[in-house]
Amino acid sequence: MAFTFKKKLKINQSLVSWLDVIGIIAWGILLLKYWFTDQLGLLIHPDYFWLTICGGFGLLTIGGCKAWLMLKPYLKQRPYSRKNYIPPQSEQHITLFPPGVSSIILITAAILGFFISPRIFTSQIALQRGVTDTLLMTRAQPKEFKTAKHPEQRTLIDWVRTLNVYPEPDAYTGQKAKVEGFVIHPPQLPDNYLLISRFVITCCAADAYPVGLPVKLTSSRSTFAPDTWLNVQGEMITETLSGKRQLVINANSITPIPEPKNPYNY
Amino acid sequence: MNQLHNGFTLFLSLLVEALPFLLLGVLFSGLLLLFVDERKLANALPRHPLLGAFVGSLIGFLFPVCECGNVPVARRLITQGVPASVAIGFLLAAPTVNPIVIWATWTAFRDQPEIVVLRVVLSLAIATIIGWVFSTQADLRPLLQTSVANAMPTPTKKRQGFWSQMSPQEESVPALLQSGTFLISGSGQAIRMDAATLPMTASVGTTKSLKSIKYRLGLFLENSVQELRELGAVLIVGSAIAATIQVAVPRELILSLGQGPITSIIAMMVLAAVVSICSTVDSFFALSFATAFTPASLLAFLIFGPMIDLKGIGLMLSIFKGRAVIYIFALAAQLTFLFTLIYQMIY
Repeated sequence: MAFTFKKKLKINQSLVSWLDVIGIIAWGILLLKYWFTDQLGLLIHPDYFWLTICGGFGLLTIGGCKAWLMLKPYLKQRPYSRKNYIPPQSEQHITLFPPGVSSIILITAAILGFFISPRIFTSQIALQRGVTDTLLMTRAQPKEFKTAKHPEQRTLIDWVRTLNVYPEPDAYTGQKAKVEGFVIHPPQLPDNYLLISRFVITCCAADAYPVGLPVKLTSSRSTFAPDTWLNVQGEMITETLSGKRQLVINANSITPIPEPKNPYNY
Repeated sequence: MNQLHNGFTLFLSLLVEALPFLLLGVLFSGLLLLFVDERKLANALPRHPLLGAFVGSLIGFLFPVCECGNVPVARRLITQGVPASVAIGFLLAAPTVNPIVIWATWTAFRDQPEIVVLRVVLSLAIATIIGWVFSTQADLRPLLQTSVANAMPTPTKKRQGFWSQMSPQEESVPALLQSGTFLISGSGQAIRMDAATLPMTASVGTTKSLKSIKYRLGLFLENSVQELRELGAVLIVGSAIAATIQVAVPRELILSLGQGPITSIIAMMVLAAVVSICSTVDSFFALSFATAFTPASLLAFLIFGPMIDLKGIGLMLSIFKGRAVIYIFALAAQLTFLFTLIYQMIY
């Protein structure tokens, strides 16, 4: 009886040790997978890619070393050498979760990560976070900012930054605009207006915030479903929307474009 | 369904950013376990509670970790027998008062050097005060999770430095019946792996094999795996909660909480706790609110965020009992609010 209990305990411990190794290696692979499949850009700013990549390799190294230590006695195929490695017993080391549970959480989250790809945030999130054409100065300091660009070469973010430096909409009236972004239908705008938007991230998707400019259409916005990516060309005008004077793109050509590989702006 | 997918992406992005930092913290904790003689460390630290808390707050310069990496290191410090004031000072200040974060804040707020200086000074002050408050609790163990408390060296009446051998009761109990992590030594004796007893392990079993690099590396690896498994799982749960709240509660709601002098400070503190981004990069995020919020509220964001956030509360619970986490949370929130309000009124 005592013997079987001991044996069972030993099997359980080795199972738990293997779950640890699998959990850690799975996360290492997942981090590197995002790098190889170019999905890292959906999650984190390119400046911090190296961090995730190093983290992935670090986890693989730790998991790999541990796996190797556990396998070594068996690989040598000398029965007596199995005594060499006795997995340290980890009773009571755990605080919040029992040992198996922690590993299972790690493994489950990693499996979900393998099967469900991260994806770009939708207009729903943008509306929830509040789209704006002001406030924003991200990493780009104003001193690095070049205003000499031709208006039609400005991206959506360039426009927002320009507005940030000099907010008077009349100053831009008549300038040509050519921007790319995704469609938002803000409930407060009339039916012939949509917002053309991009998400800006400073570090990771958790801090992504949307910026956008209103686009005036000749017809109802229902032609362009939310989250469609568009190239909008037109001329800048000033209009008063929801009680606020603001810069609006008066569109004369709108063409749908495929979702860009890296949908964020920096 | 859409919201679920958005939430999952948020969850992944928090983890992709935080896991490397957690790994860094775990590695530092392992180094501390193996290559620092805790007896010397504990004796080198000042005994005065206030001074101890202050010195603890500065340890971040030695271990530049953010709020995911500080927990394994702080926990290691506690189990090494370092005084509570030092460990808590470290826990709260290290994510801000370290070279990487100061450099990042400087990069972001070069135009407002006072924000950089005040972030460091006020974080130091708050961490020192809270560390000091906790030092009035002579024996920290009732506030700690059982396993951490058990791993602590027992305080004896005649304290030899801050470190002591096992208590008589513990000695009378066979080693394997005591709690902790054990290794079986070459001679078949059980050796507790926890740092508190590491010097003692040197006298047990064959000294040569224990001191060897190979043995130390093995211990280092085992410690890393255990901490990664345990804290990784906690981090996953914390990130899931933070992501859910971010998706469920419109950010506009938080920001619309306030534009007034007092409400804006509160709004930014709530935002800091909810967004849960790492202290190394949060200054860039704060910068994006620079035109819409008062400098005082930005400062509140920068001070409070690294101390307390949703993602990190789970990690803190791996050291402290819920009660102690609530104390730390309440004290940190009140002090941050008070200091930033004073700043607001002066400028």
